[in-house]
Amino acid sequence: MEPRFQSRAQREASIVDGHRPSLLRRGISRAAVPACVTGTVLLACGTGIAAAAKAKTNSSTPTYAQACGTKAVTLTGDFETGFPDIVNLTKLFSKQYPKVHWRINTNAYAEITTNAPLVLAGKNAPDLVRLPILEGLVKDHLLLSLNKYYNEYHWNKFPSSVWAQNRTNGSQLNTGNIYAWGLNNQVTGIYYNKALAKKIGMKGAPKTLAQLEALFAKAKKDGLTPIETWNAVPTGLTFPLQQLMADYGSVQAINNWAYDKPGATIDTPANVRAAKVLDSWIKAGYFNADATAQSYSGAMSEWTASGSKDVFLFNGNWQAGSFDTSQPGKYGFFAMPPVKAGGHVAAIIGPLQYGIAAKAPDPSCTAYFLNWVSTNPAARKLNVEQGGAPPIGPTALPVPSAKPGTNTEESIQVGVAVAKDNQGMGFITNANGSIYTESETPELQSLFAGQTTPAAVMSSIQSAYKSEGS
Amino acid sequence: MSSSRATAYGGRVMLVVLMFWTLLPFISLFTAALHPVGTFPTGLSWPAHPQWQNFINAWNVANLGPILKSSALIVLGTVPITVVIATMAGFALGQLRVFGGRAVMLLFLIGLTLPLEGIIIPLYYELNSFNLIDTRMAVILPLIGLFMPFSVYWMRAHFVNVPRSLTEAARSDGATTWQIFWGLQVPLARPAIISLVIITTIWTWNQFLLPLVLVPTNVDSRTMAGALGAFQGQYSDNIPLLAAGSLLILAPMVLVYIIFQRQFIRAMLQGAVKG
Amino acid sequence: MLNTATTSRRPLGAGSILRGLRTLARADRARGWLFLVPALVAYGMFVLWPLANSIKYSFYNWDGINPAKWVGLSNYGQVFTNATLYSAIEHSGILILFFSFLPTALGLALAAFMRSAIAGRLGTVARVVIFLPQVVALVAAGIAWSWLLGYDGAINQIFYAPVDALLKLVGLGVAQQAWLGSFKYALPGVGLIGIWVMLGFCTVLLTVGMGKIDPSLYEASQLDGAGPVREFFDITLPSLRQEIGVCLTVTMIAALSAFDIVYISTQGGPANQTMVPGLEIYLLAFTNRQVGLASALAIVLVVLVVICIVPIQWYVNRGNES
Repeated sequence: MEPRFQSRAQREASIVDGHRPSLLRRGISRAAVPACVTGTVLLACGTGIAAAAKAKTNSSTPTYAQACGTKAVTLTGDFETGFPDIVNLTKLFSKQYPKVHWRINTNAYAEITTNAPLVLAGKNAPDLVRLPILEGLVKDHLLLSLNKYYNEYHWNKFPSSVWAQNRTNGSQLNTGNIYAWGLNNQVTGIYYNKALAKKIGMKGAPKTLAQLEALFAKAKKDGLTPIETWNAVPTGLTFPLQQLMADYGSVQAINNWAYDKPGATIDTPANVRAAKVLDSWIKAGYFNADATAQSYSGAMSEWTASGSKDVFLFNGNWQAGSFDTSQPGKYGFFAMPPVKAGGHVAAIIGPLQYGIAAKAPDPSCTAYFLNWVSTNPAARKLNVEQGGAPPIGPTALPVPSAKPGTNTEESIQVGVAVAKDNQGMGFITNANGSIYTESETPELQSLFAGQTTPAAVMSSIQSAYKSEGS
Repeated sequence: MSSSRATAYGGRVMLVVLMFWTLLPFISLFTAALHPVGTFPTGLSWPAHPQWQNFINAWNVANLGPILKSSALIVLGTVPITVVIATMAGFALGQLRVFGGRAVMLLFLIGLTLPLEGIIIPLYYELNSFNLIDTRMAVILPLIGLFMPFSVYWMRAHFVNVPRSLTEAARSDGATTWQIFWGLQVPLARPAIISLVIITTIWTWNQFLLPLVLVPTNVDSRTMAGALGAFQGQYSDNIPLLAAGSLLILAPMVLVYIIFQRQFIRAMLQGAVKG
Repeated sequence: MLNTATTSRRPLGAGSILRGLRTLARADRARGWLFLVPALVAYGMFVLWPLANSIKYSFYNWDGINPAKWVGLSNYGQVFTNATLYSAIEHSGILILFFSFLPTALGLALAAFMRSAIAGRLGTVARVVIFLPQVVALVAAGIAWSWLLGYDGAINQIFYAPVDALLKLVGLGVAQQAWLGSFKYALPGVGLIGIWVMLGFCTVLLTVGMGKIDPSLYEASQLDGAGPVREFFDITLPSLRQEIGVCLTVTMIAALSAFDIVYISTQGGPANQTMVPGLEIYLLAFTNRQVGLASALAIVLVVLVVICIVPIQWYVNRGNES
């Protein structure tokens, strides 16, 4: 009966600042990505050694390469405010190719999400854009298929798993043409304030969930805030929730749901149990009391403030670069511990996506830039140092090392460990366009306020999921 | 007698309380802005070492220079045209009493109640078809239209009260309509025009929804208020700088207001009562 | 310019002057249209034309990019049956209480008490200060108020302890919380910002209105032995009919079309508790790209404003006629 509206979707993260979860597109089923880029030899890594050996990416650069940089051009980019890495990459590129200039607009992620379809369809479409949800844009033919460049630049030498989330037919991922390119790899885990963690007697990363909960209890007893989070629109409580779901259930089940496998449900005993544990954390007062009034950036202000009493933070490596530069040595990062010691560690993993507009004035030169970011040693180094995450590129290339002891280095290790156990997850907020803001956020806000029960949260998210899918 | 003195005293106390309540957000912004970068100021607290350089840093971090210039350009593009064409229309309706003037005024009056949200969607597609999205013109042109109902009403109210014998005398002296308008009536209308300039300047500066929608990516072409959303990201985890930046954005219009407060308040009250 | 006109005047008899003026006046009434055209063009192109298009879009299912499909009135059906959309309209009803009724009532009370105080030197300064919210960008005010209403914000700092202590006396008590993150207090929190924006305007307007009331009216009623309360209801209130009408009109439009404050302070949360039509229109049209549905809501909003304002105008005008 209900008209098939485009869903209140892409509202995801909409009005708010920031970069949180939505950066993570639907995950990849086999999360070997960071392992590949760090050079660890794993089954999932790309297309075979023979191809990799032939790589020498730059030497095999095709026709476009000569075209870009010989003539004076101005490329345009619409990027996200607060992430200097991509802007500095364009500056570095212009230094190496002085004839290529950039005109860059930066805007809050929320506004990019809102504006992307109209901007891409408009008369002044940019060349390169920071991408919000991929499928809708492809369905409306607003993005350029990158297949041509994939072939020309031999992007098949990238870890194949990377492309899973970059392919879509307009409604499903991991099938159809390539429309997105990943700047670097993202991974989630738990940050901790080293000084405060020491105060509550934490020695090394907790090995089990029980140990982690004991630390929360101790922090609470000592008058600290055990967990900092944001629960304004859209919520950050999906991070601890999904990590708990992976602890009590299986990554495979979560991915089935996140990738819209027929018959998948989130309303399982394991997930309700996870929600109950989250609820017990809320009731125990482990979270900052003002969470529902805090946006992502507000929570980051509280977390980084001097004299902050926040001990732990569920978040991803997209913050690592900024923590490493503005607060070096203050924080540590570890993976969510499993229920039983020695169990698998799981995390949400995915590429930070950019795309080329279908109406881009100069797509070839833009694609050349993308390939340059993936392969140029100086660009890859900048990516790690400022982006805080491992770049995505040919598996044969060495990955610039992060400084030991930095959040960047620790998060890369988490990525390796998760990949080794094959425990990478797609993000439950991206199961469909509207689920995050229409269902998960209000449900978790209600749970936080004591207005609903864990079981009701799961069943109503499931019914929203089903009505969107039908 | 004593009760009336008590009333007067009580009235003064209430006035002070009301003033404090009004200033509370500004005081809060101000004390927050003076805290050291990287702290999370709470409530009203004066920092031990006020960080005045935060204002300079906030200016630089958010690159306020281009946006200040952009706001000024938008005001310069909007206000003069608005005032000139509204004065002409007010003259036509108030002095010349054109045929169908009542109906025209009624048409303008509809616009006085119209919420911007009622037309923002088609405005986007209209300006897109003119190829003006992401330019200052996309803010300037709709603003001129949106200001018409109040501005025409305001100027008409002035011209209605100017004795028509003045126009008639000039007319009998052989002056053309344009000469009467430009040489006689506009100088007489100066107070009303100045008020209109002040009001539309402030309204332009503070416009938020129009630049948000019509200048979607090119933040440097927005108004100060419209760019504020983008600043939030620039300062992301730095509350003192965000507070300082917010104050810098408010400052120019507060300054204009303090200089012209008499005209502004009078115009707002009269405009409201007449409207 | 006028001078050149003066020197070129032709000698005319008195009768012909009158006759000439009459024809000239008629010519003016036609030629005057040339003076109207620019304003009408600007208004027509950027207000009336878009308004007509809003109505048109509201009958279509359109994503803003692909071809639109005619759906008749079904978008309007959605507006009143979809729980989120309908609750947004309800919320703006509650906001009218905060933006409109409270500032008008408070403004009346304050104006009555402060009438003498505001006449003095303190009053001049006070007037400038309490009018300030009309001058500052609402977005910036929204940012400031988000902190004021925060867990450790100034409002809690000033009011929490005494209020909690009072409530504890009667065996209650309330947990300290961030207003805008609370199910109970988020909408009143947004309302409080509305009071802040509107109170000064209403107070000054009503004070000025009171100053215009003929003092002899009060003297007469005092001779009749009326107290200050009866004076207020018998004389002050009826004399302020027009000012009250203006306060209510201006503030109601602001309440119904609230956008900036909500966008910055709550984004409609928690769990849509502060969602308002203005924000919903923006989100539907540009984030969700349900242009038709958003346009239907926009038209409902326009009509709602008219429905709210017409009775007030009627009340004011009736007073003027009597």
